[in-house]
Amino acid sequence: MTTQLILDTLAIFFLIGGLFFMLVGAIGVLRLPDAYHRLHAASKCSTLGMMGLALAACLHVGTGDVIAKSIALILFIFVSTPVGSHMLAKAAHRDKADQWDGTLSDELEEDMAKDKAA
Amino acid sequence: MLDLLPTILIAASDASHVTDSSETVQSFMHTPLLWLARLGLVLLVLGIHLCLWRMIRGPHLADRVLAGDAMAMLVAGLVLVLAIKYDNAMFYDAALVVAILGFVSTVAFAQYIGATKKHANDPKAMPEEDAA
Repeated sequence: MTTQLILDTLAIFFLIGGLFFMLVGAIGVLRLPDAYHRLHAASKCSTLGMMGLALAACLHVGTGDVIAKSIALILFIFVSTPVGSHMLAKAAHRDKADQWDGTLSDELEEDMAKDKAA
Repeated sequence: MLDLLPTILIAASDASHVTDSSETVQSFMHTPLLWLARLGLVLLVLGIHLCLWRMIRGPHLADRVLAGDAMAMLVAGLVLVLAIKYDNAMFYDAALVVAILGFVSTVAFAQYIGATKKHANDPKAMPEEDAA
């Protein structure tokens, strides 16, 4: 009973955190000015949000296979989301997607110009 | 003892149909957790609609693809919240499949954007690249 109480309270904590990050990521995808800022919002927030939701479901259901699957899910998401976002950002930069007017520096462009000059 | 074995096996097979959680005593934080899961379903569907709006009006193809990636993550989260709400472990496989499909489709679209639309915005760059 007490163990279940502690587990459910922890699940509520992680569920609130996961839902917060998921919703903030979705609002960022809609509101931020250009594709790179939107990728920033989508990748970080969906990683943290999925970690929170998977931990909450793992704590609430709590059987062995669920714990194993949630560990596999969290590890997969922590590996795959940065890789996918990096590939997408590089493809968008190669396709010359529009940048925000307030962008201060574009170091990939400078490096490619330096490589082409050398 | 051997005479009892079929009876034990039948009883074990009956008990295997009953999920573990239905027999345990539920704590008083169980009801707030279920209400929070219901609220979470609403919030995640709202987030899916925000990403859908970005997918419709995104100026660049990368905007649409990243909106689809965020939508896949939101759908996987929705499935996990359903696993909490219905207290069922079967939803986990669906969440894993949705996460893997989202990653694979993102990588495929990134290859597509980077490979085929390389010179879409400045056709002058094409002969120089072909020479190099």
